[in-house]
Amino acid sequence: MMSSGKSRVKMRPPRNRDSGDVNFDESWAVLSTAMQEMYRKNASRLSYEELYRTAYTLVLKKHAEKLYNSFKMFVAQHLRDVVATELAPLASNTTNSLLTSTIGGGGVTSTIAVPLAAADKREGGIRFLKAVKAQWDDHCLCMRMISDILMYMDRVYCKELQLPLIYDAGLALFRDHVIRNNEFQVGEHIYAIILDQIQLERDGDIVDSSAIKATVLMLESLTEDKIDGETVYSRSFEPKFLRSSVDFYTSEAEKLSRECDSSQYLIKTEKRLQEEYERAMSYVSVTSEPKITKIVEENLITKNIVSVIKSDVSGMTFMIANDRLEDLKRLYRLCKRVDPEITDLRGALNARVIQQGAEINQDALEVLKHPDKSKGVTAQNAATAAAFKWVEEVLGLKDKYDRILNDTMDGDNQIQTSLTNAFSSFINQMNRCSEFLSLFIDDNLKKGLKGKTEDEAEAVLDRAITLFRYIADKDMFETYYKTHLAKRLLGGRSISDDVERMMITKLKMEVGFSFTTKLEGMFKDMKVSNDIMQEYKAHVQNTDPERTIDMSVSVLTSTNWPVSLSTIESHTCVYPAGIERIKRSFEKFYVDRHSGRVLTWNPNMGNADIRVAFRKRKHELNVSTYAMVILMLFNDLADGGSLTYEEIKAATSIPDNELIRNLQSLAVVPKTRILIKQPMSKDINTTDRFSFNVDFESQYIRIKIPTVAYINKTETETERKGTMDKVDELRRYQTDAAIVRIMKARKTLEHNILVAEVTGQLSSHFHPDAALIKKRIDAMLEREYIERSAENRQMYHYLVGRD
Amino acid sequence: MADMSGDREYVRLVSSDGFEYSILRSAAAVSGTLRGMLSQSSNFVEAKQNRVVLPNISGVLLEKVCEYLYYNLKHQNNPGNIPEFDVPPEMALELLVASDFLDGKHC
Repeated sequence: MMSSGKSRVKMRPPRNRDSGDVNFDESWAVLSTAMQEMYRKNASRLSYEELYRTAYTLVLKKHAEKLYNSFKMFVAQHLRDVVATELAPLASNTTNSLLTSTIGGGGVTSTIAVPLAAADKREGGIRFLKAVKAQWDDHCLCMRMISDILMYMDRVYCKELQLPLIYDAGLALFRDHVIRNNEFQVGEHIYAIILDQIQLERDGDIVDSSAIKATVLMLESLTEDKIDGETVYSRSFEPKFLRSSVDFYTSEAEKLSRECDSSQYLIKTEKRLQEEYERAMSYVSVTSEPKITKIVEENLITKNIVSVIKSDVSGMTFMIANDRLEDLKRLYRLCKRVDPEITDLRGALNARVIQQGAEINQDALEVLKHPDKSKGVTAQNAATAAAFKWVEEVLGLKDKYDRILNDTMDGDNQIQTSLTNAFSSFINQMNRCSEFLSLFIDDNLKKGLKGKTEDEAEAVLDRAITLFRYIADKDMFETYYKTHLAKRLLGGRSISDDVERMMITKLKMEVGFSFTTKLEGMFKDMKVSNDIMQEYKAHVQNTDPERTIDMSVSVLTSTNWPVSLSTIESHTCVYPAGIERIKRSFEKFYVDRHSGRVLTWNPNMGNADIRVAFRKRKHELNVSTYAMVILMLFNDLADGGSLTYEEIKAATSIPDNELIRNLQSLAVVPKTRILIKQPMSKDINTTDRFSFNVDFESQYIRIKIPTVAYINKTETETERKGTMDKVDELRRYQTDAAIVRIMKARKTLEHNILVAEVTGQLSSHFHPDAALIKKRIDAMLEREYIERSAENRQMYHYLVGRD
Repeated sequence: MADMSGDREYVRLVSSDGFEYSILRSAAAVSGTLRGMLSQSSNFVEAKQNRVVLPNISGVLLEKVCEYLYYNLKHQNNPGNIPEFDVPPEMALELLVASDFLDGKHC
């Protein structure tokens, strides 16, 4: 600002216009009159400049402190007068509280409250609030004006001594002399009125929210002196508000749980939440919103939600059973508000699913035990029926809960996990689950998918895969599936190769290819067999064109196919001469091609077409290999001749159980009595006699004679035990392999970690129990694959130097 | 109300010896005090008439003050290189007092 003084000029001090000291009282009189006029709304007659200058001069003359204090006293007094004259009279019309007031000066008036009707109460309250607000507005306005005039003092005096500026001092004065006025309890009235209004609104009335909002804003503008960040609102009003809300909602919670069913309870709770939210946003104060929301949530939701869910009549179970989607949505929403982990809801869902699952399991077992004969369900296909029922019901249950999860619970991951666990749990509780699933797929591949488009077929298989995922003991499933697949392939009962392969592909995607190599091997074997047969036929054409018996052979690699098909002892059979000859011819043919391989014939899986001359006419019969062998015996008999069971057995060396089965289908089954049995009865005994039924008649030329109980039945107890044993053995090997694999990679591991790792690795096949793993670890210790560490008995080391 | 409610662009400052200076409202607003006095939301006489009487500032001084207000207004946006504001030394102290009175923050 100053220019560089090139020429030195004599500086003169400014002329002091004011003559000596200034009279404080005079100046103060000017100012206080002006302030009065301001309060009376007559400011337009005042000159700002004059007042500003007056204050300025006072400050210059070091009367700032006096000015400041006079200002404060003036305002304080004014406010007290205002309260007494304007506000106190109105206060008596507001609440039921007793209000004693002494109006300063002459008369003493005490008012005794009379209980008032709600409408009067409401109006009176609002009037009071409006009056306070009006005073507040006036006061603020005046404070601004005064602050402008006294700005010099603010700048110079207040700032230096760090006193509150005029405007702020003015607010504090309002707070202390109006709101916290000891005599008239204006503040308390205000709080009480607001709480009353809120209560009225909670009960359903409409209130004047703008008046309340204005008052709240006022309370929020009044900061507390010594406490940072607090206002009159937060310190005096809010705690009352929250306390009264707690009381209200505690009783509301009781009322609702008494009067409403679960659905209503939830609807009302949501309504209350919405209401409180809107109230906080619109007129109570945004800062209170989270607190009040929490109160409502705690009282209406957290305390009661468990009983709401568990209610027998209308709780979660009811909602699920009756597809109350809106209710479930609401339930989920509310639960999630208070508990992001929704433990209560999840627990309830889990329990319910397991309960329903157990019922499904039970039902299926019932069907097995007591097949419904009236519906044509025999003991044999009871199993298939049970399997179907079980699979369909489980999938149905899954559909239902999937829908609930997606439509009402937003696909929430935690719920998803809970449901998956519940399903896993009850599915694996059903210890015949693997078998049932395999039966289900088997039946579909044999008959059910016939005539469906590829997409439809795929849809059915996908559903089967869904179930497959839950099964823990996947290797059990593999065993059953292999057996069923073998029967399908060999019997030519599968409707479509493509669909079979589709299934294998899907299984491969789920658990990797180790699972499916054997299955694919089975398919390959069938194809290779086909090729060999082509070659063989050509070969026969060349070498033995006179042959009358046509033979088709399927060559199976024994490791691929289920074990039950390849044990030798049970498959003895003495073939008729003609058959024996061509049998050897094929063996020679094959071994010539693939030296080093050994062929074992499996008579229990083949079938034969025989032309039989009866009295009336010739029929062509399709029978099992064993049956064919039996019938051929009768060729050599004289007419009217017969054979006993023992004789048949001696001649054919067919094992008993197969012999019985085949004799039953030939002699007992009513429509296909090719042989006559003496005595006629259902069972085959060793003393029975069989003779050729030359009078057999049928309208069909070609007749298929199925072997009794040739359809897939569920295993008998012994068979099942056999399967389990094999599976156990396989599992032992797999566990051992896993242990060695892990130890080789990690070299040193602690016992618990090893167990965990092994479980993880085997999880895609089956779920190992801890005892099994421990036993195998001991076995490995013994076989010196691993050793115990010397320092820590719980640690294992991998022993190198193994071959 | 005699005056229009809209802001008038020019306001008048009157010195102790009766000189009236018309300046832009925006220039006057550089001084916190003047701004407050002339603000339309205040109810005082000055705001209504858009005219401020300053009995403790002489005409010569007030003229210099107006000059300064314009100077400040003109260079508000560019605090870098601005020409000096010339203040005759004999006026300097009085100017200082006046600016203190008028709450000229930028002095």
